[in-house]
Amino acid sequence: MSTARRNRRARTTVTGIGVTAALVFAAACSPSPQAPASGGSDAAPAASITELDYYADEQGTVAWQKILDTCTQQTGVKIERQSIPTAQMLPKILQGASSKTLPQLVFTDNPTLQQIASTGALTPLSDYGISTDGYYPGIIKAGTYQDKVYGLAPGVNGLALIYNKDLLAAAGVEPPKTWDELKAAATKLSKDGKYGLSFSAIPSEEGTWQFLPFFWSNGADLSKVDSAQSVQALRYVSDLVSSGGASKSVLNWSQNDVADQFVSGNAAMMINGSWNLARLDEEKSLHYGVVPVPTPQAGGKPAVALGGEVGAIPVSGDATQKAAGKVLSCILSEPTMLDWSKAHAYIPSKVDVAAKFGQQNPEMQAFIDEVATAKSRTADLGEKYPKVSAALATAIQSAITGQKPADQALRQAQQAAGS
Amino acid sequence: MTLTQEATAGRAETRARPGRRRSQRLAALAFLLPALAYIVVFFGYPLVGNLVMSTQNYTVRSFYTGQAPFVGLDNYAAVFRNPVFGTAVTNTILFTAGSIFFQFTIGLALAVFFNGRFLGSATLRSLLLLPWLLPLVVSGAVWRWMFDQDHGIINAALRALHLASGPTPWLTSTSWALPAVILTNIWIGVPFNLVILHGGLRAIPDVLYEAAELDGANAWQRFQHVTWPLLRPVTGIVLMLGLVYTIKVFDVIMVVTGGGPADATQTLTTLSYGLSFHDFAFGQGAAVGNILIVLATCFGLVYLRSARASLSEVAS
Amino acid sequence: MRTLRHARLRTVAGLVIVAILLFPLYWMINASLQPSGALLKPSPELFPANGTFDGYRRALSGQLGHLVTSLIVSLGTVVVSLAIAMPASYALAQLRIRGGTMFLFVTLIVQMIPGIVMANALYTVFSNLGLIDNYLGLILADSTATIPFAILLLRAFMISIPRELSEAARIDGAGYWRTFTSIIVPLSRNAMVTAGLFSFLFAWADFLFAITLTTGQSFAPVTVGIYRFLGNQSADWNGIMATATLASIPAAILLVIAQRYVVAGMTSGAVKD
Repeated sequence: MSTARRNRRARTTVTGIGVTAALVFAAACSPSPQAPASGGSDAAPAASITELDYYADEQGTVAWQKILDTCTQQTGVKIERQSIPTAQMLPKILQGASSKTLPQLVFTDNPTLQQIASTGALTPLSDYGISTDGYYPGIIKAGTYQDKVYGLAPGVNGLALIYNKDLLAAAGVEPPKTWDELKAAATKLSKDGKYGLSFSAIPSEEGTWQFLPFFWSNGADLSKVDSAQSVQALRYVSDLVSSGGASKSVLNWSQNDVADQFVSGNAAMMINGSWNLARLDEEKSLHYGVVPVPTPQAGGKPAVALGGEVGAIPVSGDATQKAAGKVLSCILSEPTMLDWSKAHAYIPSKVDVAAKFGQQNPEMQAFIDEVATAKSRTADLGEKYPKVSAALATAIQSAITGQKPADQALRQAQQAAGS
Repeated sequence: MTLTQEATAGRAETRARPGRRRSQRLAALAFLLPALAYIVVFFGYPLVGNLVMSTQNYTVRSFYTGQAPFVGLDNYAAVFRNPVFGTAVTNTILFTAGSIFFQFTIGLALAVFFNGRFLGSATLRSLLLLPWLLPLVVSGAVWRWMFDQDHGIINAALRALHLASGPTPWLTSTSWALPAVILTNIWIGVPFNLVILHGGLRAIPDVLYEAAELDGANAWQRFQHVTWPLLRPVTGIVLMLGLVYTIKVFDVIMVVTGGGPADATQTLTTLSYGLSFHDFAFGQGAAVGNILIVLATCFGLVYLRSARASLSEVAS
Repeated sequence: MRTLRHARLRTVAGLVIVAILLFPLYWMINASLQPSGALLKPSPELFPANGTFDGYRRALSGQLGHLVTSLIVSLGTVVVSLAIAMPASYALAQLRIRGGTMFLFVTLIVQMIPGIVMANALYTVFSNLGLIDNYLGLILADSTATIPFAILLLRAFMISIPRELSEAARIDGAGYWRTFTSIIVPLSRNAMVTAGLFSFLFAWADFLFAITLTTGQSFAPVTVGIYRFLGNQSADWNGIMATATLASIPAAILLVIAQRYVVAGMTSGAVKD
């Protein structure tokens, strides 16, 4: 082949590949138009829907799969489930939002619902005949955005003080009810490298969530995190650490680690959630008790934050939305609520169902009492909550490490949160 | 080849038909094209997208609606005003410098030590690569346990060896957290350096060492005058890539300390993530990401200058 | 003899060094054999005397499929990366090309793009192209981490291949492609193994693309599978450590085999003294 012909061939090939690459690139980058909604609102519900949750671990995934299977049987809708690690939930939802491929039913942590609802991607649950009658006001508030309910939870959870009966009895300590009693008990129970109390103060939502019972019980408000009551609460918590009642490692322990410390006997008491009871029951040598989180004064009502995942239905087309609505209604029905709460150690989010649950499972009563007065984190701040939470978590860490005094740390947090 | 032969070959090439030069260029382009297309398609979109996002007020809503108002350089201004930004820059520099220095020197020392022919050298050297193979969530967790103030094995060992009187607050003190994270990163990064540097060592012909030994050079002098100069191109690659990868390190820090305590281990990468996924200020997160790229680019330029130098070194 | 004693001393010293450096690994295996949380006891057991294989049983029953998936994806990444990087490195190292330095520079820069930015961008593109839950999609995505690195590494090797060799072939009438396949590729065998090895390990360890580009409906690599044991509300450390141990085995075998070929610098045998 002559050089000239070879050159021409090379040039054509080069140009051809270049053009193809450009076309592929252009086609791939433009988001494809959303699938047209099938007919009017008389469309039949779809035969299958996609679902997203973060019950990825062994215990959670098996329990949740059973719930989904029950509802598939009842509604006839097949559920294609995806479960991912917790930290991936938000990126997944954002990716789905931007490529218009959101799952048709999503169960997300309740403080994130406001953010997602604010995008306009969700549909009001009233569209599917799901009413909010009989639910705890806290959980209704958590799922409400601009007066419409976009998410409801089948089960909620909260924090309580779980204590080791044997260790407390050996030291002659009663389960504490007030802050003073808690501090005294914690310091008394700390010796030989073991600590009286263990909780989580990591720089994330988990740390804020653990601090909120102290914050709210003292009368502080998330809209003003540098108030006197807030400073008092933070001073109290850092005092627990600096007085030796709790290890400084709380700065590094997630709630899983806190549970590990409690189970191994390194901590006599822990502030942790109801979901741990399933694991604690498995440890035959561990005798535990549950009391509400101590309040500043005697007789006060603990104000814990409301945990639990709410189910929401993004915009996806009439048929799939209808099907998702049917599935969600099934999940929110009383027998399913009880099954889920029993399997995963949550509290049913309907008042009377919770009462029934309390009768069947008396060890959960302390949690049920708390849920009645629990507050949703996004109740006051709505979409602004995540930023305030991050600032508060940093302040907690600054105070406990001793880097800054509590009032300065909180003042800085208020500035960061306000900007 | 002798010098005259080389010169003749060179002149022969220039005397060739001018089309030959051009056909070589076209052939080169054809060989380069798959990689070029791949890079444009797979990296062009994210890079441009990130640049654009850093000039927009990008919120959670923007993901769904696709709309994000243009705000010019406001995001960058906000980032510079951020009180954590200064800490993040300092930490990034310390983290990167500390990690690379020790990863390289330890990797080199191990490569030299295990280069000799003694019983088990190959097996032991292969075993040393294992830290690289573990998922980061696992390595991070193991080191977290080891660093635990009260029950960690490191403090227990320090106590047993009488090297420390009390427990070191590895992960709970704002002064110790960064060294702890650097130590973890060094452990994870040594195998990478070890493999490449060992490969470079193996390429150095034994005759050179023998000649040096005959000339009366001791081990250190042999290293100085034979090993080190011949390792230079490999050293360049290892340091450059080490820089790029270390600057991007995210999982190690997040798993071991989460950026804390009190932002003591926040680097530009973790700050970018925090701005995006905790504060939902995606434009600012993108801005920090771009600042990071600019920072690393400066070092990239330094490498390229030395790479061009080594190219001419080899060609001469 | 002095040299023999020296050699023995070096072996002992080597064992000590490896023991110290690999201690965290030992700690991980220790954790995988003990009941969950046992290592937190005030004096943790240095040796799993009452070992339990529960974690391994759980890991084996659930993770084998994930390990196979990881293997397929990683091997695919090696093939794709080498196929794209080898010709490019040849062009950059051996052929005169304008803008070669600029290309190299770009290759360095693109490696600095944060992972989450890549993941978000690729998800949008891939979901439009239908490449989600697709082996090819995941392979192409993992290649973004391996191709720039491979190009840099291979180019550094190929520079040291004397130009005279290719010139001689061309004078004999061979085309560029022929020269590439018959001369450059065989000579670069060691470099290809090195680049392939690194590509395999990068793809094996990838988590971000794995979680982003799969929906759990069809397959998942082991980096995603391990989260079966690590949840928001519980952590099964036995299972995690056991899975990590199992996951290191294929990569470790590969490393031991490939070690022999990893030589950086001048390709042996091509240059006569």
